[in-house]
Amino acid sequence: MSGSAHRLTEGGLIDRRKPLSFTFDGQSYSGFEGDTLASALLGSGVKVVGRSFKYHRPRGILCAGSEEPNALVELRTGARREPNTRATVAELYDGLESQSQNRWPSLAFDLGAVNSLLSPIFVAGFYYKTFMWPAAFWEKVYEPLIRRAAGLGIASHEADPDRYEKAHAFCDVLIIGAGPAGLAAALTAGRAGARVILCDEDFVVGGRLNAERLEIDGAGGAEWARQAEAELRSLADVRVMRRTTVFGAYDAGLSGARTFGALERVSDHLRLPAPHQPRQRLWKIVAARVILAAGAVERPIVFGGNDRPGVMLAASVRTYVNRFGVAPARQAAVFTGGDDGWKTVSDLAAAGIGVAAVIDARAEPPPALLTAAQRLGTRVFAGAHVVDARGSHGIHRISVRTGSRIEHLDVDGLAMSGGWNPCAALTTHVGGRPRWSEAIAAFVPGDLPAGMSVAGAAGGSLALDAALREGAAAGAAAAAAAGFADVPIPRWRTSEDSVSSRALWHVSGCPSKAFVDLQHDVTDGDIALAEREGYRSVELLKRYTTLGMATDQGKTSSLNGHAIMAALTGRSIPEVGTTTARPPYTPVAIGAFAGHHRGKEFKPTRLTAGHAWARQNTEVFVEAGQWLRAQWFPRPGEQDWLESVSREVKSVRSSGGVCDVSTLGKIDIQGADAGAFLDRIYINTFSTVPVGKVRYGLMLREDGFVMDDGTTARLGDAHYVMSTTTANAAKVMQHLEHARQVLWPELDVQIVSVTEQWAQYAIAGPNSRRLLERLLGGVIDLANAAFPYLACAELEWQGVPLRLFRISFSGEMAFEIAIPARYGDALIRALMAAGREFGVIPYGTEALGVMRIEKGHVAGNELNGTTTAADLGLGRMLSKKKDCIGRVLAGRPALLDPERPTLVGVRPVDRKARLYAGAHFLAVGAATTLENDQGYVTSVAYSPMLEGWIGLGLLARGPSRHGERLVAHSPVRGGDTEVEVVSPIFFDPEGTRLHG
Amino acid sequence: MADALTARSAFSCLLVAVGNGRGVTAIDRDGLGLATLAERNGSRSALSQRIREEFRIELPRGPSRAADGDVAFAGTAPGTWLAMRDHGGNAFAAALARSTAGLASVTDQTDGYAVLRLTGPMVRPALAKLVPIDLHPREFAVGSVASTVASHMGVTLWRLPDAGGAAVFEIAVFRSLAESFWHALAEGAAEFGVAIGRPC
Repeated sequence: MSGSAHRLTEGGLIDRRKPLSFTFDGQSYSGFEGDTLASALLGSGVKVVGRSFKYHRPRGILCAGSEEPNALVELRTGARREPNTRATVAELYDGLESQSQNRWPSLAFDLGAVNSLLSPIFVAGFYYKTFMWPAAFWEKVYEPLIRRAAGLGIASHEADPDRYEKAHAFCDVLIIGAGPAGLAAALTAGRAGARVILCDEDFVVGGRLNAERLEIDGAGGAEWARQAEAELRSLADVRVMRRTTVFGAYDAGLSGARTFGALERVSDHLRLPAPHQPRQRLWKIVAARVILAAGAVERPIVFGGNDRPGVMLAASVRTYVNRFGVAPARQAAVFTGGDDGWKTVSDLAAAGIGVAAVIDARAEPPPALLTAAQRLGTRVFAGAHVVDARGSHGIHRISVRTGSRIEHLDVDGLAMSGGWNPCAALTTHVGGRPRWSEAIAAFVPGDLPAGMSVAGAAGGSLALDAALREGAAAGAAAAAAAGFADVPIPRWRTSEDSVSSRALWHVSGCPSKAFVDLQHDVTDGDIALAEREGYRSVELLKRYTTLGMATDQGKTSSLNGHAIMAALTGRSIPEVGTTTARPPYTPVAIGAFAGHHRGKEFKPTRLTAGHAWARQNTEVFVEAGQWLRAQWFPRPGEQDWLESVSREVKSVRSSGGVCDVSTLGKIDIQGADAGAFLDRIYINTFSTVPVGKVRYGLMLREDGFVMDDGTTARLGDAHYVMSTTTANAAKVMQHLEHARQVLWPELDVQIVSVTEQWAQYAIAGPNSRRLLERLLGGVIDLANAAFPYLACAELEWQGVPLRLFRISFSGEMAFEIAIPARYGDALIRALMAAGREFGVIPYGTEALGVMRIEKGHVAGNELNGTTTAADLGLGRMLSKKKDCIGRVLAGRPALLDPERPTLVGVRPVDRKARLYAGAHFLAVGAATTLENDQGYVTSVAYSPMLEGWIGLGLLARGPSRHGERLVAHSPVRGGDTEVEVVSPIFFDPEGTRLHG
Repeated sequence: MADALTARSAFSCLLVAVGNGRGVTAIDRDGLGLATLAERNGSRSALSQRIREEFRIELPRGPSRAADGDVAFAGTAPGTWLAMRDHGGNAFAAALARSTAGLASVTDQTDGYAVLRLTGPMVRPALAKLVPIDLHPREFAVGSVASTVASHMGVTLWRLPDAGGAAVFEIAVFRSLAESFWHALAEGAAEFGVAIGRPC
């Protein structure tokens, strides 16, 4: 059959001068600019486009919009392969490649179709009943098997080469849907001067104006929509966003403005995104007022063979004929529950397509319609139902039942119209409940979220004149509510548009399978089974049968299923109720939510001022929160990290080393009460620290456990600078702000983070003083007498302010030098140059860690939120002369228990053995049970000074047990290691090196 | 010893033009003297008086920026301002501390923040991809200040008088985040084109 036989020669919104070629399952076809993949396939005579989820039945195209349950295809190839794409929303472009999915080996002959023969066992609840045991089989056997058999498309497994981004928009009036109601609303709100955003998921605005033969003020509906769009685009504060789906309504702020999520498909209609263009853009739209004008979705009718290719929704048939110039059939029939389906008869006839019959479930259709049918030579079956459609690869015959009489008609297309469901999902996302409307036999929006109004078909007003009237009024009202002047509300003359939505849910007694949910292959029989087995609530029905749980979220199926359940249980539909719609309205790719936060950009990276220098000297960096820190600096010939780190430790202890410590938190604390403030923050006293001195401090959380530690220097009478650990910098800042603003607003204290202001380097080792003297050249006297351990000073050097601290984490004589960060790069280079003659080396965080373990200094592994000051051997720091945060709760009996695990050092009895952090302490020979647990190893290192592994740990009554032997039990790593409990200070216990 | 120290901008080697360069112009404000000015308890009016005398500027209450000549104060929190002086460098904070001694605490932030000036016909659409606040001229007038997030990074931004028919913003981000910030900005603004303006 040639492609052209399925195209009308004129009409529609396609450009016949611009043919586009595409492939489907490897075969070439052509369509036109303005086509969707679905219209191009239908226009090429392709009826079967996929296999169904469970029974692998051949399926065609049901709809012309985003509600499509059947026509899911894989678009594109390679890394750009996109499974589960609805052909009805995929805009055709030249060179588009598409494949059918869920079939093997081919679409025409699919082995999985054997499932259909086994359908008596694949009923609702099948998985629950069959794959019950053994439970271990679920993950390894059943689930992979089911997923393969009942899967949809296949992801590409390659990294997506395209970009996704996020953006924010704000408006006075957000209008969702650019059909007649939405356009009318945008015109009045926009003319009033309001900031308007008009979104539509389609690539052409106008909604059903493009799909029906309707007129407004004498112009064709599509033409009127073009004019409206042109006017809107001429208004400075109106933004028209095509290809943009508002998928979710979220919380409102204090001002009442509500947040919506929207997905703009920026480049989905192109073979490749243009340079610098994302594929999709995720919008967060904050709107003072919102008008939902999202239209309505037509309902299928549940009858035998209603899933066969060639059975389509009636309005979708009209869309293909009127908008896309496609003839979906040569000889069609229409099956309807009301007047609405009859429009299809006249539209098909106007396009020159034969209409063999209208099957109207009503006993007495309106006489005017009967007359029109007679004129067209179309047979009318009144009070009749279609009970079967036959033809697995495209229907060729339907069976019509009138009373008890069955008649067969040869047709290759069937349009069905079971009424309309307003697209009210966005009214329910923040808790609104829909309301049953007897007038249109559907759920319509009930209580609306604050600031939202509904216009047109989305609110149940299906006719064109009502949509325009309601839209214009809603737009004007929303603009007025946002503070803009009243504008005249235009009245438009519209052509006749009688829409009746009558319930026609289900044809009982059909000879073949009648589908409710086409995407999940749920039949009327499954609903009946659920009813028999007691799953009668809509929520249970949904989960038992998976009704409405597919990617289309039941847009065409849920209400039909609920109506069948209502009939089976003798209840009304409002009594049965309906399930809750949640975001997203249509599927949104995870990539769009991620935006550009992928790979290395997953989170922001913080780089110190010395990073460029470090990058020139090592490639080994470790992530410390968001920071990157040099981990060690390998030298040529070094075999592994241990060799590099050991060399760095030995160099520091024998000569000197420089380490970037800029990442530690630094907080500037000023004010007349700064000292008193610190006394309340730390467990020890800071108001007595002399100007020019540094003190080590420990702070507790309110619950008495240790929060953080660090040194605080007094730079002036009313000026301190605190240092925190890298990990806790932000948390401590918050803690201090809370204390300052909430607990003690009466104290005169001002705090500012200066972590970023100062680049800071530790210079450690016996040559550290010589290095600084060489560098600073007499700006300051660094001799022990003038600048002893724990001294600090502010000075100026080469016109740049410096801060110098004599503090040590390594146990060596050491200094920390701080410089405004813009000079951090210059300073590290100058430090290394000045240290060269002394053999000073750079060292990284690993050597830093080894040296602090050798000295028994606690760090993050010990400050882990479960330790008290006493646990860390620092209990004596707690001043009894003053109060501080955490003091009271630190006195709880459990925190004073002498049995608490307390800081110790451990060494393997076999000095060559390795230790593992996380190993638990057990008595030698004790069973490995929780009751026998005595504590655990918190930090380990290979000590090049002791030439063996050493560790810190928390051991019950630890300090009294030095010399005792225990087992360090590490079942996941090293097994059992016998260890000796020792002092946590392994190296230079007298501290003589510190003072130089 | 040592040669004169060279300051290195946080955006050093990062700012590279993208595309046609017509949409957004970015200017590195390295060297802009920055200081946090926080009033001491009970010194509100005295501090305002001192700033008025010294700089002919009325300290703004709330999130706005007041400027005179090369000095400006941007309100960032109750009783707290980000003070700035063109080319002020670290000396600005020291001078401000002297002139407000006893009335306010001054903390140098010249190196703590990396500041970009952003302008051009597409500066608002470019910023809409970064910050979740409304920059419409009606909502964010000249002189407005906001502390917010840009692509998960804390920022402070303010609007300067329009220039060349385009809105002008300055945006301050913690120095260590300059590379991530520039990446996020440049990636989003690429479709509009990014030019690098001469420092001012």
